[in-house]
Amino acid sequence: MKRNSLKVRLLLYLSISMVIMVFSLGFILIYSLDLQNIAFFRFQEEHDFQELQARLTDLQQPLETYLTDRSSAALARLLFLIETVREQVPPARPINSDPAYLLKREVYFLIDAYLAQVNQIIELKRGRKVTEYIDSYNELTKLSTHISAQIDQISLHGFRVQLAEYRNFLTLFRRIQYQNLLLIIVATAFAYSLLMQMVNKITGPMLQLSGMASQLSNGNFDVPDVHVASVNEVNQVSLAFNQMKESIHHYISELQKQTEMEQQVMTERLRNLRMEQLLKRMELYTMQAQMNPHFLFNTLNTGVQLAIVEEADKTADFMENLAALFRHNIREKKFFVPLEHEIQGLKSYYAILQIRFPKTLRLILDFDETALQGFSCPAMILQPLVENSVLHAFSHIDRMGTVTVSVRRDASVLVISVSDDGIGMPPELVRDLLTPHTHDYQLSSKVMGLENVIQRCYFFYPDQKDVIDIKTTQGRGTEIAIRIHTEVEPCIEL
Amino acid sequence: MDRLLRLVTLLLGAIFLVLLFISLRLMIEDPFLPSDDNSAIPGKSFQYSFFLPASDNSFFQSVRDGALQAARELDCAVIFHSLSPDNLSFEMASYSGTNGVAVFSYQKNQATVANLEKILKKGIPIVQIEDEMVSSPNTVLIGTSSYDSGKSIAKIAMLTEKPKLNLGLIYSEKNPALRADASLVEIGIKSIMGERLKTLYTEQTTFNPIDAEGVIHELLQRVPAVDIIALTDSNDTLVAIQAIIDLNLVGQVQIIGFGDERTIQDYVDKGVVLGTIVRNPTEIGYRAVAALKEMNTTGNTSAYVNTGINIITDKSAPAGAGGIQ
Repeated sequence: MKRNSLKVRLLLYLSISMVIMVFSLGFILIYSLDLQNIAFFRFQEEHDFQELQARLTDLQQPLETYLTDRSSAALARLLFLIETVREQVPPARPINSDPAYLLKREVYFLIDAYLAQVNQIIELKRGRKVTEYIDSYNELTKLSTHISAQIDQISLHGFRVQLAEYRNFLTLFRRIQYQNLLLIIVATAFAYSLLMQMVNKITGPMLQLSGMASQLSNGNFDVPDVHVASVNEVNQVSLAFNQMKESIHHYISELQKQTEMEQQVMTERLRNLRMEQLLKRMELYTMQAQMNPHFLFNTLNTGVQLAIVEEADKTADFMENLAALFRHNIREKKFFVPLEHEIQGLKSYYAILQIRFPKTLRLILDFDETALQGFSCPAMILQPLVENSVLHAFSHIDRMGTVTVSVRRDASVLVISVSDDGIGMPPELVRDLLTPHTHDYQLSSKVMGLENVIQRCYFFYPDQKDVIDIKTTQGRGTEIAIRIHTEVEPCIEL
Repeated sequence: MDRLLRLVTLLLGAIFLVLLFISLRLMIEDPFLPSDDNSAIPGKSFQYSFFLPASDNSFFQSVRDGALQAARELDCAVIFHSLSPDNLSFEMASYSGTNGVAVFSYQKNQATVANLEKILKKGIPIVQIEDEMVSSPNTVLIGTSSYDSGKSIAKIAMLTEKPKLNLGLIYSEKNPALRADASLVEIGIKSIMGERLKTLYTEQTTFNPIDAEGVIHELLQRVPAVDIIALTDSNDTLVAIQAIIDLNLVGQVQIIGFGDERTIQDYVDKGVVLGTIVRNPTEIGYRAVAALKEMNTTGNTSAYVNTGINIITDKSAPAGAGGIQ
């Protein structure tokens, strides 16, 4: 059993407390008995002398009987009493200066003389020396009287002494009792404090551990370790607790890291899924869009041939531009196309629009075609933007509307801008349009035109928030600018 | 909290130990603690019994003091007994295991002598104080000579200016030695005063401590011409002084006192008392024990030891006529 174990410590402290209490109580009991003995002893000596006096008186009767009728029974009784009295008298009688003791010492010698006198009388009686034994008897009577007087004097003296000391004795006794009461109180408090120290040694660390557990339950793993100096069991518990704290901390950190990684993977996967879905939808849309243009393209070619046959040149030009536009649309199956292709398609579209709106629409192309060679851009972005302006910017306007398409380079950024001087857009609409769609956004068949262009730009350049911008003023017009960083690769294989 | 508790525990432990120590000391030093033997008191070689009159006057008290002093210095123990009228304790002294007896016997009778002889018969040495009743190699007489006492009285009486003096001498049962040797005292007085002593009147008081007043009254009524009254007991002296003052006879009747009590000395200083005779009771007690021990150890000693006598008179008396001697 280890010395510092809880069991040994408890046993030790309890034993010490018990020993202190038992010792104190035992000490006080012994002290009380001692005081009782003192009180008893104070009168014991007087009592012994009284007894001695009674024995001497008892001796008188068989002596007289023997001297009267020489009874052997009386003689036997007499001799027995003589021996009894002799045994009661101490043989050693040293001398000292205590007057009371000297008086007692004298009495012992007087009793010796008395017993010797009795023996002498017995011998004289046997020798029939009548006169002598009568004289001796008279002397014995005097001696007896004197012994009695001396014993009375001793008793009286003793009583007076005891009486004089009684008050002092009571004072001392009371003082001792109070002191012993104080001793018991202090001993009890001492034992109690020892036990409390033991209990505190156990509960103190427990409270610390409890506080630490509370901190841990609140997720605070930075709380310092508990270091205690208690019994082995508590020390081991605190050690295990510290280790447990470190283990949980480590485990939770690992979990957090894993969760973060999983979250990253999930985000990536969702993005991929979204991209995949969009691609599929776009593919479907493209396929669907290709079906009708092919039919229309063939039909339009037939119409061009018919117009030539009928010699309707204007109609033939219109139909030819329309066919060129459709051809452009059908031909571009890639996500990114050379910029000149886009401009080519835009010119076909513009030729059609001039036939449709010869008096009310003007298109300005503000760029140098030779300088734009070698640049790519997402397919089908210019024509939808211009179409959007034509369809919405000039509603309810009777004057000539102008749509300006400009392409320029700003350092490494290719800025494609389509602006009009139409009615402008409401801010809410601009905000909605510029909001990137999440993966769960339900694409509709109407996702065409401006919105289509914007979302595709966001899709291709997810990390470039300024890839597209709309500046609009009510009644003054709208400018839609696409900013393509030529050094940034789009997030899709071209 | 822990520190406080530890401090309190230590404090309580210390108080507990201190209280325990005090209790133990109180227990050990308990004055009422019984001792089975008298070993704590130093042992003595001899025990001597003093038989003195049952009087508490300063004379006998001084005898006791002297005896106790000698006992302390000479490794002896002393026990004092009162001489009762029946003398039983004195009669039984030979059985008491004593190593020696000192007695101031005021009753010179056959019983006393028989008792002394009984003690001597047991081989116990006897010191007789002031008065010798039996004489043997085992006895010693210690005290003052009655003749010298008479001479001292006369010397004080001679300090008065009257050419012829009527002297009243009051013996007392309280001082039996002088009373027993009255003739020696009177011879001593006459040897000094000679022709100046006109008449010597003698009276006697009893053990009654106040009967001296009656004796004085009776003497002065009977003999108005008494010039000086000499007392032989200190108690009688004090009573006589008061009687003379009450009778308005201070200066007319001179007093010669006996004893050196403070009151008597004051009256000497005031001139109420002409002078006082002082024996040396302390010396008597001391010499008695010393003589008994000498007899116990060597077997013999001087048969007579004179402890001397002193005279105290008024310091203002003419030079050569008195003063403290």
